Amino acid sequence: MIPANRKFLLTLLTPALLVLLVFVAAPVIQSIILSFHRIIIGLPQLKSPFIGAENYRELLHDPVARHSFLVTVFFVSTTTFFELLLGLLLALLINHRFPGRGALRACILVPWAIPTVVSAQMWRFLFNDAYGMINYLVFADKVSAYIPWLAAPGTALFAIILADIWKTTSFAALLILAGLQIIPEQLYQAARVDGAGMWRRFRHITWPLIRPALLIALLFRTIDAFRVFDLAFVMTQGGPADATNVLQLYGYKKMFVEGWMGYGSAISVAVFAMVLVLAVVYVRMARRRLLEATL
Amino acid sequence: MKIIGLWVTVGIVLFSTLMLNAQEPQTIVFLTWKPNQPEVWERLIQQFHQEHPQILVQMQIGPHSSTESHAVVTQRLRNKDASLDVFLMDVIWPPEFANAGWALPLTSRFSEEEQKKFLPATIAANTYHKTIYGVPSYLGAGLFYYRKDLLAKYKFDPPKFWTEMLVQGDAIVKGERDPALHIYAAQFKQYEGLVCDMLEFIWSHGGHVVDPQTRKVLLGEPPSVEAVTFVRDRIIGRAAPRGAINYEEPESLEVFIQGRAVFHRNWPYAWAVANDPEKSRVAGRIGVGPLPAFTGHVSASALGGWQFGISRWSKHPDAAWEFVKFMTSLHSQKILALEAGLAPTRIAVYDDPEVQERMLHLKHFLPAFKRARPRPTSPLYPMISQELQRFFSRAISDRETDVEGLARATSERIERIVQMEAAVQQ
Repeated sequence: MIPANRKFLLTLLTPALLVLLVFVAAPVIQSIILSFHRIIIGLPQLKSPFIGAENYRELLHDPVARHSFLVTVFFVSTTTFFELLLGLLLALLINHRFPGRGALRACILVPWAIPTVVSAQMWRFLFNDAYGMINYLVFADKVSAYIPWLAAPGTALFAIILADIWKTTSFAALLILAGLQIIPEQLYQAARVDGAGMWRRFRHITWPLIRPALLIALLFRTIDAFRVFDLAFVMTQGGPADATNVLQLYGYKKMFVEGWMGYGSAISVAVFAMVLVLAVVYVRMARRRLLEATL
Repeated sequence: MKIIGLWVTVGIVLFSTLMLNAQEPQTIVFLTWKPNQPEVWERLIQQFHQEHPQILVQMQIGPHSSTESHAVVTQRLRNKDASLDVFLMDVIWPPEFANAGWALPLTSRFSEEEQKKFLPATIAANTYHKTIYGVPSYLGAGLFYYRKDLLAKYKFDPPKFWTEMLVQGDAIVKGERDPALHIYAAQFKQYEGLVCDMLEFIWSHGGHVVDPQTRKVLLGEPPSVEAVTFVRDRIIGRAAPRGAINYEEPESLEVFIQGRAVFHRNWPYAWAVANDPEKSRVAGRIGVGPLPAFTGHVSASALGGWQFGISRWSKHPDAAWEFVKFMTSLHSQKILALEAGLAPTRIAVYDDPEVQERMLHLKHFLPAFKRARPRPTSPLYPMISQELQRFFSRAISDRETDVEGLARATSERIERIVQMEAAVQQ
């Protein structure tokens, strides 16, 4: 028996659940089904035979996919690390009272508010080897020293990482700031009375209390970074030498450029599975921390 | 009551039939890649509207790169999108579009007699298993642009060989004492253009990726491997700026028209841009001809260019054909040539006195057009191209790579694709 008020709650939830089912669950299931078939758009004569896990077996032995995976993991770990670190510093800064704080808070959100495609295009111009701003800032008019940032495998990945950090640090800062603002001022006052210095106040009050917020920021940033696509698509198309060929871009190329729908779907399902596992682990950790924090 | 209901129904039916016969303009959607002179295309479409008031053409502009355009067009065709009627196809798409059943066969509309009026290579590119699927709009082929003024100043003739180009370029760059001046600018980003540029080096060294006769994959053979190694060791970071590894056509053309490169490889459209004094610093000081070759071999150009195709899902194939016929007519090709610098596919345009008078350079284009070669023709070409892009980009970005080993591994992967296609055709 479902109690009457629960029934009412369920009725209220139904529209939301339906939307989730149609727009989230259905495409995912569709991708999973596609990934078990051999579908090549250029060869409709193949029909679309069911081939079991063959796409996944091929994926495991695909050196390009392995390389893409490593590139993605490197991208995720560096961007998440720096975004959280810089986000924390920014949050601590704008949590202080000082003249112009409101304006600064608004400014910090600007990069995050710009659509990624637009900011990616902007960074592409900034990193241009001949007329890019960055070369001018670093080398001024020593034209012969100009570095073609997007043309060398190492620096191209670095450029994309930098663009991502620039763009989403403010998002991390916003989440951490929310965590900072729930810390009662009295705790700091009491600590000051007890003679605690700045570092000790941070170490023993701020840090333990913002950990749940940090964890949530970490969760969002990791998952988001794992699905990176637009930055690489606009700035480098995955090149040079596949140095920025992140997993999502590789899946996109397989599906929409090569027309290899089954295999491309297998790649996106693999990304989905990895993100899902990460999300579950984080959510469990977050729940534990939140419990600890309230105790 | 029943009678009134009947009359109302009859009235509605009559009214709607009348509406249909009243020649509501039919809207056809034309999807094109991003043209360099969109205003010329718009003007042509306006002329078409004047001649055919019952048809309304809606032009939709896609991305500039061929690969991205391909993704946009194929996605709509795959979804059987009836709102798309006419599209421009890159020269490599017809086999794929034909085999997938997306492009309407044009046999009944585009007669063989009419086909004979076009340059034969462009008709061949639109034919798959003896059926024609597209009407060539304009032709492209890799062309070799050079600074006429600089060559004259140092008393050089346009180079016939790659090594000759390097020697001349060295002398000019040393003599000019300009740190921003490079010998060569071309397209080496990991995208479709890279395949064209690299194939030209391979072909002009006697190599092949896929032998057109035997269908054997020859990428791992010495002529191909040596040509790729030459590009890596002598072109990238030496003759061409290292940044060329991230250049598509617009970026490399920018280098040339800013006067920062002596030689430049590009498609025919670059002529008009490079001679436009508002955009170019080298207007009027450039020459054009076929690309150099390796000593003992002949020059080769990648065949490019765009064709009109009609969607199999179009609800107005007749209106669509009227539009295609208009856009590929002698009149339209002449306008596209004179005003947008696009090289005509109709032979008669080359003999037109006005075109000859105003476009003297077309006769310099012709030798390269005649040496143009198609990229491997296959409905699975996009897969082959992705393998090639990966290989070429890796080979030229890193001086340490084992080009031969990489070429052999790529050959094997391409071999698998070719066999996959052959298995289906049987």
